[in-house]
Amino acid sequence: MSYIGSHIFDRELKKGSAELLILSLVEDQPRHGYDIGNLIEQRSEGALKFNVASLYPLLYRLEKRGWIQGRWVEKAGQRRRRYYRLTAEGKKILAAQRSSWREFVEAVNRITGIEHA
Amino acid sequence: MPDWEEEIRRRLVRLRLAPTREAEIIEELAQHLDDRYEESLRGGATEDEARQVVLLELTESDLLARDLCRVECPVWQEPATPEARRSTNMLGDFWQDLHYGLRMLAKNPGFTIVAVVALALGIGANSAIFSVVNTVLLRPLPYKDPDRLMMVWEDDAKGGFPRDTPAAANYIDWRDQNQVFEGMAAIANESFNMTGAGEPERIDGRRVSANLFSLLGVEPLMGRAFTPEEDQPGSNRVVIMSHGLWQLRFGSETKIIGSSLTLNGESFAVVGVMPPHFQFPSRDDELWVPIAFSSQEATNRGRHYLQVIARTKPGVTVEQAQAEMNTIAARLQQQYPDSNTELGATVTPLHEHVVGDIKPALLVLWGAVGFVLLVACANVANLLLARAAVRQKEIAVRVALGASRPRLIRQFLTESMLLAVLGGIVGLLLSLWGVNLLKAFIPENISQAQAVAIDGRALSFTILVSLLTGLVFGLAPATQTSNFNLNETLKEGGRDSATGSRGHRIRGLLVITEVAVSLVLLIGAGLLINSFLRLLNVDPGFRADKLLTMRVVLPELKYPDQTRRTAFYTELVSRIETLPGVQSAAVTNWIPLVLQGDSQGISIEGRPDPGPGKNPIVVTRVVSPHYFNTMGIQLLRGRQFGEQDRVDAPRVVVVSQEMARRFWSGEDPLGKRIKTGGVNSPSPWMEIVGVAKDVRQVKLDADPKPQMYVPYAQPVFFQPSHLVVRTDVEPRSLATTVRRTVWGIDKDQPVSNISTMEDVLSESLARQRFSMLLLGIFAAVALVLAAVGIYGVMSYSVAQRTHEIGIRMALGAQASDVLKLAIGGGLKLVTIGIVIGLVAAYVLTRVMSSLLFGVTATDPLTFIGVSVSLVIVALMACFVPARRATKVDPLIALRYE
Repeated sequence: MSYIGSHIFDRELKKGSAELLILSLVEDQPRHGYDIGNLIEQRSEGALKFNVASLYPLLYRLEKRGWIQGRWVEKAGQRRRRYYRLTAEGKKILAAQRSSWREFVEAVNRITGIEHA
Repeated sequence: MPDWEEEIRRRLVRLRLAPTREAEIIEELAQHLDDRYEESLRGGATEDEARQVVLLELTESDLLARDLCRVECPVWQEPATPEARRSTNMLGDFWQDLHYGLRMLAKNPGFTIVAVVALALGIGANSAIFSVVNTVLLRPLPYKDPDRLMMVWEDDAKGGFPRDTPAAANYIDWRDQNQVFEGMAAIANESFNMTGAGEPERIDGRRVSANLFSLLGVEPLMGRAFTPEEDQPGSNRVVIMSHGLWQLRFGSETKIIGSSLTLNGESFAVVGVMPPHFQFPSRDDELWVPIAFSSQEATNRGRHYLQVIARTKPGVTVEQAQAEMNTIAARLQQQYPDSNTELGATVTPLHEHVVGDIKPALLVLWGAVGFVLLVACANVANLLLARAAVRQKEIAVRVALGASRPRLIRQFLTESMLLAVLGGIVGLLLSLWGVNLLKAFIPENISQAQAVAIDGRALSFTILVSLLTGLVFGLAPATQTSNFNLNETLKEGGRDSATGSRGHRIRGLLVITEVAVSLVLLIGAGLLINSFLRLLNVDPGFRADKLLTMRVVLPELKYPDQTRRTAFYTELVSRIETLPGVQSAAVTNWIPLVLQGDSQGISIEGRPDPGPGKNPIVVTRVVSPHYFNTMGIQLLRGRQFGEQDRVDAPRVVVVSQEMARRFWSGEDPLGKRIKTGGVNSPSPWMEIVGVAKDVRQVKLDADPKPQMYVPYAQPVFFQPSHLVVRTDVEPRSLATTVRRTVWGIDKDQPVSNISTMEDVLSESLARQRFSMLLLGIFAAVALVLAAVGIYGVMSYSVAQRTHEIGIRMALGAQASDVLKLAIGGGLKLVTIGIVIGLVAAYVLTRVMSSLLFGVTATDPLTFIGVSVSLVIVALMACFVPARRATKVDPLIALRYE
């Protein structure tokens, strides 16, 4: 189906790295969507920003793939929130994505490094 | 706090999610927006500002719905598909289809390129030929009210000249007695030795009636037309020149009007310059002088040399004009029985006269490019069908989601139109190039040939053809594809309709069409090539190799009598024959195959006089002694002319084989005597001293007429004007030396039309070569397209049958069986196509009979030969995919599904 394959390239790139970002952020502790979005924005110092339209479909996709798992948590005095945590499979994926990301960055660095030398 | 839930729900409603899931998503997103809102307030924003910030998060709501849908929807559904909002937004649909179509084409560059190239070839060829047809046949002649311009001829059908050039006295009677024409003008050939400024030059022109230009409705660019007073002998030393001559020879000098030119040794005042592109009657004419008939000329009914043009009064039809001319001609027959017996008059529209010869060839070519386009359409339709099969799933989903059939057809048609437009654009570029190429091929003597260009009309034609093309090749696949069994297709591995029996049938029909149409084109081309080869093999009666020819016309003022003329030519020939590299040289009034010549009526001694105007007409050539050697014309009997055949010697004549056969069948013509004119005419008897082999004087494809040769030194009616030189070396290399030799005798004597006889021969075949080459090219294009089409269909069919072939092989079928199976299917279609093509060719090639020579329009050899060649090409196109079928591994084939 052609529509699926028709997305703009940089959108795909952003989405590809976004998976890695989200998996990383929920590695140590479960987080809710708003928290994840804020953390990405803060830690990237505003360079990366997700809004509702881009973040949640991604979360649902990761969840559907079984890499993260969402769960409603109720705390006293607050509305309930949905927290996401990394699954066992997600851990494997995260490890794989991390190392390939690192390789990719190193490769890019090597190239750009030589060019600058 | 605002109610975000409602905002979100509105955006998700199109997704039709399961209610519980929808509620969850809405709750989670609303929570997110609440958080954002509160954070903004904490940051010091007003409630309104905070609200704006939150809504920003939802701005890409289409994206949200779409991305959510990809994750959440049970079956992917394009929220923005036309089906989803089945409104009547035609324009929006169109843009979407266009966008979609463009993307489809970009994603399949192979398909797109093949389709666009096929279409561009078809459309480009159509556009190029149309521009020629448009300029030469359709565009009105560049004169005022050209529909009312007629040519008037003498009708001497009995003498073999149904459209003969009229005699001056007849023209004058026609002009003065008719009631149907507004005006009538006469034109006579003339050529001028222009001297005085620079090299002497031979320039073609005409003597014309003073009213010619007003009759045509064309004003001179500068100066004026002739006055009636100037159309009288004695006051006719005025000249009008062409724009081209004015530019090239006189550097566009504006003071040219009133200056004088020396033409044929006399001074003429320039009174006008015609506008650019004006040509009449032929594009070679560069000077016009008043015809100013002398009193002898004006009463002569025996010399037929004029062309007569007339303009009908408004409302007068060709038939009415013809009827009037019949009446006048009948009256003249009564009045002048000696000259006008059985002499009629014929009226033909000027346009018919101008385009008559080339019309059949152009119409055949126009039809041929139409056929090429048809083959291209069939090819692209096939490609689209094959591709549609691949897209069945996509279509199935759309239908399942409620897309209507018309909506799908529209989508497919938009895509085909897009292809057609792309093909049209590339085709137009191709035709711009093709038109320039065509111009080089168009025989020079075709009127307006150089004006051929892609104009507005040709452009509109191209656009129209492109759109029609899109419709033609798009409709079948569109209706076919949109009509299929949804359930079957949606099933995994289900057969799609394009491979179903109906798809096969359409595919088969397309192959049959391609084969049939290509066969018609190939047979047409085959017939023309066959004709052309036969023409090349016609014995012209002379040897064209190593023969240099040129025109050397002596002006009457300077060489008023035959003695002086003969002296000049004798001196010229003897000087040239001493030049190194020259074998022999001679002069004659006309060389063969230049479509001009002189003839005379003759009487035979001892035969009864046939009566006035009924003497047999024979082609007359006035030649110098070495003419037969020089031209390589074989003398069958008797002797050729020698130095002894002088003015005071007994009159002699050499006749052609055909003349001998016609008048002295079974007798020995040698020693017989003939004279020009009637038996009682004062001209002397001439003794036949030789019989020469027939020469094709007029054109290669016309049977030789009776001819006679007379020595140039004896009193003759016609003057020599052409020099022929047989050389040992490349003839062209001697052109300059020969020309200098002429100027060595008379420095003011122009030399023109320098050419080799081989070029003359080749030029005389220009028209046939033009038709043959073009039709050949078109047929080749059609053949390639058809071969590609057959190959495509066969490949596809083999691919579709992989499973079946696998089973057969698993059950023990040999490679040869599979080959037979695969080729057999293709061969069946090809055979049907050939049968249909043969029948169509049998009917259609008749229209080209006027273009053929030596073969009939239904020449069995051509029909069979071409069919066999096409079968071989088709077999090869079938063989490649068929062989692939034999390589099928049964295991893989069976696992295929």
